[in-house]
Amino acid sequence: MTAEPILQIKELRTFFHTERGRVSPVDGVSLEVGKGEIVGIVGESGCGKSATAQSVLRLFDEKRLASYEGEIRYDGRDLLRLTPKQMRDVRGNEISMIFQDPLSSLNPVHTIGDQIVETLRLHRPIGKKEAATKTIELLRLTGIPAPERRAKEYPHQLSGGMRQRVMIAIALACEPQLLIADEPTTALDVTIQAQILELIQDLNRRLGMSVMLITHDLGVVAETCSRVVVMYLGQVVESGSVRDLFEKPLHPYTIGLMRSVPRLDGDRHQELPAVPGSVPPLHQTPPGCRFAPRCPYADDKCRSDLPELAALPGTDSQVRCWHAGRIAGLEATP
Amino acid sequence: MAFYIARRLLATIPVLFVLSVIVFLIIYLIPGDPAAVMLGDGASPETIEALREQMGLNLPLLTQYGTWIGHALQGDLGDSYFMRQSVRTALAEHLGPTLSLAVLAEIIAVVIALPLGIRAASRRGEAADKALTGFSLFGITVPGFVLSMFTVLLFSVQLKWLPVSGYKPISDGLWTHLQYLILPAISLGVVQAALLARVVRSSMLDVLNESYVKTALAKGVGERGLVYRHVLRNAWLPILTVIGGSFGTLIAGAAVIESIFNIPGMGQLLVNSVQRRDYSVIQGVVLFVAFAYVLVNLVVDLLYAIVDPRIRLK
Amino acid sequence: MTSIDASLEPNSPGTPNPPDLAAMRLQLRRENRKLFARRFFASKSAVIGSALLLLVAVVSLLAPWLTGRDPYALDVVNRLKPPSSHSLFGTDNFGRDLLTRVVYGTRMSAEVGFAVAIASSLIGLVIGLYAGYVKWLDQILMRVMDGLFAFPAVLLAIAMMAALGPSVGNLIVCLTIVFVPSIARIVRSSALIAKEQTYIEAMHAVGASHNRIIWKHIMPSTLSPLIVQGSFIFAEAIIVEAALSFLGAGIPAPTPSLGNLLSDGKLFIYNSSWMTIFPGLALVVVVLAMNLFGDGLRDLLDPHARRAGKKR
Repeated sequence: MTAEPILQIKELRTFFHTERGRVSPVDGVSLEVGKGEIVGIVGESGCGKSATAQSVLRLFDEKRLASYEGEIRYDGRDLLRLTPKQMRDVRGNEISMIFQDPLSSLNPVHTIGDQIVETLRLHRPIGKKEAATKTIELLRLTGIPAPERRAKEYPHQLSGGMRQRVMIAIALACEPQLLIADEPTTALDVTIQAQILELIQDLNRRLGMSVMLITHDLGVVAETCSRVVVMYLGQVVESGSVRDLFEKPLHPYTIGLMRSVPRLDGDRHQELPAVPGSVPPLHQTPPGCRFAPRCPYADDKCRSDLPELAALPGTDSQVRCWHAGRIAGLEATP
Repeated sequence: MAFYIARRLLATIPVLFVLSVIVFLIIYLIPGDPAAVMLGDGASPETIEALREQMGLNLPLLTQYGTWIGHALQGDLGDSYFMRQSVRTALAEHLGPTLSLAVLAEIIAVVIALPLGIRAASRRGEAADKALTGFSLFGITVPGFVLSMFTVLLFSVQLKWLPVSGYKPISDGLWTHLQYLILPAISLGVVQAALLARVVRSSMLDVLNESYVKTALAKGVGERGLVYRHVLRNAWLPILTVIGGSFGTLIAGAAVIESIFNIPGMGQLLVNSVQRRDYSVIQGVVLFVAFAYVLVNLVVDLLYAIVDPRIRLK
Repeated sequence: MTSIDASLEPNSPGTPNPPDLAAMRLQLRRENRKLFARRFFASKSAVIGSALLLLVAVVSLLAPWLTGRDPYALDVVNRLKPPSSHSLFGTDNFGRDLLTRVVYGTRMSAEVGFAVAIASSLIGLVIGLYAGYVKWLDQILMRVMDGLFAFPAVLLAIAMMAALGPSVGNLIVCLTIVFVPSIARIVRSSALIAKEQTYIEAMHAVGASHNRIIWKHIMPSTLSPLIVQGSFIFAEAIIVEAALSFLGAGIPAPTPSLGNLLSDGKLFIYNSSWMTIFPGLALVVVVLAMNLFGDGLRDLLDPHARRAGKKR
C-alpha cells in the first residue's frame, strides 16, 4: 500500500432481509482504496462486488431490505453511521458512482444537460447560468463533441459510448474524491470500452481522483488498475498489486481464473482449463473455506475452518487461504 | 412523431366504424316492429305504417345505415319523436350539466387518488399502502349509485347540509351551481379515485424499479426530488392514459347518478329516452358518448407523442 | 413388484410399473391438495371471499324457507313500518316485508351474475380461442370486440334493454353481450402466448387437427385467467344489473331485485331510510364476496399476476 487510503472498508457485512430469510451478499469484506489509485474489484457474477459498491453509498432500501455491519471509513467518518441527510451530502459530491447500462441509467424525460445541472445544484449554491456553463465544460472534459448541442438532447438520442461519457460527466460534476464505477464497460462495444477506460484513466491522472473499478473482465483490470481485489461468494479472497496478481497469483481461485484466460501465445489445441464446479447459491454457503468444494488443494482443515484474510509474508498481497504460501510455490513450477 | 400520430388516427377509424354499426343495429334488436313498440298497443296499423315510412324502416338495411351515418357525419342526428326538437339540440342542451358533473368528479378523483397513490408507492407496505388497498376494494365493490344513496342519507336527510336532488345552471351563481353537484360528484369521484389510486401506485412502483432512479439516488437526490422529478415525471403519462380510459366509465356512472339526483344531463336524457323508446335520441346519445370516449383516448395517446421525448424526437 | 420383475417389463428400466405408478400418482395428488389448501388459507381474500360467497349461496338457495313469507304479498295496512321484531328489515311502501324481498333480491342478483358469468365465459372462450388461432378471424373478431369494449357497460346495456324490453331473460342476454369482449380478450392473449409454444408446433407436425390442438392443447392454459376474469364479471354483472334495475331498465317490478329495491327506497329516503340501507348493504356484501373470491382465485391460480387496475 503505497498511497494513503481514502476509503477503508472494514469487515463490511450487508444483509438482505428477504421472504426466504436473511442473506448476506457481502459477508466480511475488507479493502482499501488509496488516494489517486485505481483499484479493481473482480469476481464472477454473484460474488458480491456490485453489492459492496452499492453498500458504500448505502443505496439499498434500509427500511425494508438491507442492513449493514462493519465500518466504511471515509474522510475520518464512518459512512455507515451517517444520517440520511449527511449521506446525501456525500453522494454525487464526495463519492460518485456510475453504473452498467447507461441507457436505462439515465432519466429518459430529462435532457442530459438538465441531469448534470441537477447534480451541480444539489450540492453547490450556484445559479442556473453558471451551472449551464459548467455543464458544457464537463461534457467537453469527458470528450463529448459539440457539447452545447448535446446538452439539450435526450439520452435516447446519444450512442452508448456517449451516454456513458455523460454518466461520467454527471459523476464528476462536483469533483468527487472517489469514483465508483460498477461494470462501466460491460454493456459497451469493445472499441468504445477502450475509449471509456482511457477516459477514466485520464481523469484519474489529471484530477487525482481515486477509482474503484468493478468488473468481471480481467483484461480491463490489467489495462487500468494498479491494485486488485478478488472476491468470491461475498468475501475477499486475494488482494495485491496487479503485477503480482497476474504474475504470481496466490489463491487457488485466482490461479484458476488466470489460467482460464485464453492466451494469444498459448497452444491452440490445448483444452482451456476452467474452474470446476459452480458457485453455490448465497443461502447455501459451505462451512469453512467457501472455495473448498471447487479447490484442487482443499483438505479437511479447509473444509471445516474459514481462513482469515491475511498478509502473506514476503509479498505485498493478502490472501484468504490456509495453504497460500505452499500453493504459490507449487504453482511456480509450470 | 408525425408517423406515430398518423398511425393512431388511422387506427381509430375502424373502431369508430364498428361503433356506429353497433349503435345503428340496436334498433334492430327489437323483437317485433320498432314503430309498433314506440306507438304502443293501441295504435292502428295505418299509424304504425305511417311511422315506419317516416322512420324509413321499409328501406333496405344498408341504405338505412348509409343514410343515417351520412346524416350523422354532417351533424344531423334526426329528430326526437317525443320532444319536438332535433336530436342535436337535445344533446346540446343536455351536455352542459353532464360536463360539469364529469369534470368535478374527475377533479375530486385526482385530488384523492394522486396523493394517496404516491404515498402508498413511496411507503410501500406501510399504513398508507394498506389504506389504499382497502380503499380500492371499496371502490370496486360499492357502485356509484349505492354510494350516492348513502351520502344523500347522511348529508341531505340527516345533516341537511346539501339538497337532495335538482340542478341549477352556472348562470345562477357558482356556489348554487356547485351545491347541487357536490354529492353526485363525490359519489362518482370517490369510486373513480379508488380505481385510479391503484393505477397511480403501480405506475409509480414500475418506475421506482428503473435504473435511473438508482442513479438519481447515487447523485444525492433526496426523497422529494426522487418522487417528483424522477418517478412521477415518468409515471404520469401512463396514469393519464388510464384517466382517459376511465372517462367512459365516468360517463356511464354519470348516467345513473343524474337519474338519482335529477340532473338534466345526457344520462337523464338517455334514461328517459329509453323509457319512452325514443330511438333516434337513444342512438344519438350513445353514438355521441361512444365517439367522445374514443376521441378522449385518442387525445391522450397523442399527448404521449408530444410529451414523451422518446417519441417526439424520433 | 420387485426390482427384478421391473427389469423384465417391456418398459425401459427406470419406468415404474403400473401399481407403483398409480401409487405415485395418488401421492402426487395428495401433495397437490395439501399445497392447494395451504395456499388457500394463506390468502385472506380467498378465505373471506369464499365465506361470504357461501353465505350468499345459502341465502339464495334457501330463499323461500328463510322467512317463510311471500315477497309479493301486499299488506297496505302495515306499509312503511320501521324494523321491528315482526319485520326485521321493516316494510316497504306496499307493506311487503323488506327482509324477504332483500333475500329474494339477493337470489336474483346471484342468478343473473352467475348466468352472465357462465354464458359470457363460454362464448368468450370460443371467440378468444379462435381469434387467437386463426389470423384472419382475429382481425374481424377483435375489431368487433374492441368496438364493444369501447362502450361503457351500463350505456350499452341500457341501449340494448331499450330495444329488447325489460325482462330477466333479456337482461341476461344483454349483459352477456356486454361482457363477452372482456373474456374474449383475455382468452385471446393467453391463446396467443400458448400458440407460440414449441409443443404446438410438434402437434402440427404429428398431424393433429386444428380443432384438437385448440381444445385439447391451447384451451387448458387459458383456463386460469378465464376463471379469474369470470368471477370479476360475476361481480360487475351484478352491479350493472342493479344499476339498470334502479333506472327501471332492468328487472321489472314487482320482481324483487336489489336494484329496484334501491329505486323504491329512493322515493322514500327521507322517512324510511331502511328501504335504502338494507338493500344497499346486501348489494355491497354480494359484490364484495365475489370480488374477494376473484382476488383469492387469482392468488391461488396465478400468484404472479399483478394487475395495475381493474380489467373489465
